Amino acid sequence: MEELTEFAVNYAESLGAEYAESRFQCDIQESIILKNGIPEAVVLEESRGISVRVLVNGALGFASTNDLTKRGLKAASNRAYKMARASTKILRKRISMDDSDLGSVKVEVKPHVDFDSIDVESKAKLLKEAYKQAVDEAADNKIKIPSCSITLDTWKTEKLVMTSDGAYVHSFTPRAALFTLITAFHSQKGIIQRFFNLGGTGGWEMVKKWDLPKLFKEESKTLSEILLFAREKPSGKTDVILGPEVVGLVCHESSGHPGEADRILGREAAQAGETYLKSDSIGLRVGSSLVNVVDDPTLDGSFGFYMYDEEGVKARKRVLIKEGVINEFLHNRETASVFKIKSNGSSRAVAFNREPIVRMANTYLEPGDYSKEELFEDVKDGIYIKSFMEWNIDDRRFNQRYVGLEAYKIENGELKERVRNPVLEVTTIGLWSAVDAVGKDLEFQAAYCGKGDPMQGIPVWTGGPHIRLRDVTLGG
Amino acid sequence: MRKDEIPLYIVDLALKKGATDVAVKLHDEQHAMIRFSNNEVTVSKFYNESVINIFLMIEKHRAATTVPLSSARNAEKAVNNLIKIAKITPPSELYAPLPEGPFNYDPKLLKDSGISLHSERLIGHVEEAINSALEEGAKKTAGTLDATKEKIILATSGNVHATQERGSLEISVRAFTSEVSSGHFVSISGDEENFDPSEAGRTAGKIAVAALNPQSGKPGKFTALLGPLVFADLISQVGIVSSAFLVDIGQSFLIDKIDSQIACEKLNLIDDPTIAGSYGVRAFDDEGVPTRRNVIIERGVLKRYLHNSTTAKKHGVETTGNAGLISPHPWNLIVEPGEKSFEEILAEIDRGIYVTNDWYLRYQNYMTGDFSTIPRDGMFLIRNGALSSSIRELRISDNMLRILKNIQEISRTRTWIKWWEVDVPTLTPYAVVRDLNFTKSTM
Repeated sequence: MEELTEFAVNYAESLGAEYAESRFQCDIQESIILKNGIPEAVVLEESRGISVRVLVNGALGFASTNDLTKRGLKAASNRAYKMARASTKILRKRISMDDSDLGSVKVEVKPHVDFDSIDVESKAKLLKEAYKQAVDEAADNKIKIPSCSITLDTWKTEKLVMTSDGAYVHSFTPRAALFTLITAFHSQKGIIQRFFNLGGTGGWEMVKKWDLPKLFKEESKTLSEILLFAREKPSGKTDVILGPEVVGLVCHESSGHPGEADRILGREAAQAGETYLKSDSIGLRVGSSLVNVVDDPTLDGSFGFYMYDEEGVKARKRVLIKEGVINEFLHNRETASVFKIKSNGSSRAVAFNREPIVRMANTYLEPGDYSKEELFEDVKDGIYIKSFMEWNIDDRRFNQRYVGLEAYKIENGELKERVRNPVLEVTTIGLWSAVDAVGKDLEFQAAYCGKGDPMQGIPVWTGGPHIRLRDVTLGG
Repeated sequence: MRKDEIPLYIVDLALKKGATDVAVKLHDEQHAMIRFSNNEVTVSKFYNESVINIFLMIEKHRAATTVPLSSARNAEKAVNNLIKIAKITPPSELYAPLPEGPFNYDPKLLKDSGISLHSERLIGHVEEAINSALEEGAKKTAGTLDATKEKIILATSGNVHATQERGSLEISVRAFTSEVSSGHFVSISGDEENFDPSEAGRTAGKIAVAALNPQSGKPGKFTALLGPLVFADLISQVGIVSSAFLVDIGQSFLIDKIDSQIACEKLNLIDDPTIAGSYGVRAFDDEGVPTRRNVIIERGVLKRYLHNSTTAKKHGVETTGNAGLISPHPWNLIVEPGEKSFEEILAEIDRGIYVTNDWYLRYQNYMTGDFSTIPRDGMFLIRNGALSSSIRELRISDNMLRILKNIQEISRTRTWIKWWEVDVPTLTPYAVVRDLNFTKSTM
């Protein structure tokens, strides 16, 4: 594909583009869908094509095609060029790319066990066993699992990015992800549901490590106990300990998204919205000095892993909030140029036919120095929220709501009875300012982050340690 | 081999290799998108793709693949691989053979209405929308214009070989008068004639102007007047979760509700892709079954789920022509109109809240329907039948089934809605819902 990718760059330049970028991307995916323990279907998907992005008189044009011939690429380049040129009619500020150092490199993540070396039957058998464990565990507690959907996706991505200013990045990345919705039912206690994801970069060895039968048994046990024993929804002012699953989501929603430079510039205003942060918010205090939120694409094995972004810029750890103060935004080359800085490698696209835009990768709260016991022992009367089901946040990333699923009362430093659906409905600054202790543990969860138009669900990890919030008002 | 012969060729090939049922869909799409913000174009995009979807069964063993057209030209390899996969895939719950044709399709639904993808014309639509919003008093605008032409060639082992062409136009405009005051509206159409980017811009601009100087809203239960963007978000959820597949996997609050009164008697919800020129027009589904007008809710009673042949067999009913080969889905939702105008239903509300838009709808429990969503853009207090002041920072935290039952009024005025938040085109009125629960941040 190198010849065609290079051809697209050269041809777009020959049309008169001041910048041209071409990306070949091939994703080959296998999905196994299990509905209530029975395979619904096996779905194989091959997405293969090339995109061309150009700057013409400061206007940005993008075109993609899966017609992988020189004729197809000429047509795509012509279209990108013509659309960009036509749009200069309503263009006030010229778009440009920063002068980041660009990679010339090949990056390959090699799986220890290739997905193709495990047959579909064995994969389906593993999922069926996980489902059986969930059902059996629930039955032991006289709980039914009336419905359970499990989807296991395994896929390999090859990308080749070339730009007219010299980037050459060829990468190979295998990923796996599991998505589950489990419903637990008790005739007197009602219905609850749990939605959870696993995901990472690597081969089948990663899926084996997830130990799905054990995980499903544990999840089913927890759901059963919530149904049977959880008491009324807590409310009022209290101390709250949030588990890593919730902390990771908070980091993603209320630190990662508001710090995306394209949002700050208003580019996403009609879709995912804007942000409470402004161009000059670097240095703004948004939380206690214990809050350090980072985004790091280079974490080994992570779902959001990459070493070079879609514009050829080398990835690095980004410190979004440092000691409670806004420290850095997420940038691609376009936004970095506006801010007159260098891109920090945040440009991502989910497929060949999607425009690269500013995205998170693996966003998490950096661990502190409290053990879990130390976090709890200083809480006289509080609530521990370990997992969540419902959540959302406004389009300025300021007012958010997290509804706990697995949650407990804390009395005199000890975990007591389960409580049902505590609601944490708070502002971003209110939440981060209430943090008075940060654990030294660190866990990650997989998710698909939605942004862009057309929507791009991109693999990310969210994570963090346990944290303690003081004097939080639960309710909602 | 000509492109339109490929699906039938692959069907024959797969049958020879041992498949009992095969459906092959060739999907050709040309899609132009112009995104704008701060009153200027941010990027213009064009997608040109041809993909082949192959779905096959060896009785209860099912497998599917999507490949680029270029790969499908090497069809034998793709089919061999799929047959191999199907053979070792454990059996599904049941075997429902693909529906047997040939079928007759309404020729009016098969032809593209002639949407233009010409760059200058598309830029013109964007310019119209921006200028209309600015003329109303907006300071800045953002949005997306989409123009799509697609061709679907379907062949199945049930004697189906059919071609559908369709086109669509869609514009979504958000207008701002301040950092926290905005309005949003859309225009969508299956033809050029009914596409009105100016009106979308004007409406967004008017809402943004009215939304100036918002005060922080107070939480509680209020009579709510829901604008078409909000009601479309809620009602399209009802349409989506009426998929029998989602019912079966616990992702629907409509489980066990057939023939139950789930909504106010004033609510009639229909899925109807047989309206020529409408955005969601479709002549046949992914199994080749002719689409039809399906009543989902009649006078508040849930009448049916949406089916493909597999879910239909499981539920002991006929397919409704809504395949999705794995999960059936609605094509083109319609809420039947009420009798009163927007002004009349507003005049009847003494104290309430008018919500013009929402986003980020998430469930606490799909089966009970507990959820929340966040109003965005203009939101207004209603006092004595008129809008009194602009408010912000509230969240709708309620239950889908309770909301459906608490619908008090549905307007005569309706608008086709589809945008980033609402996936399924939905012809939507304004609706009044009593005792809608609003919450807000506690700190």
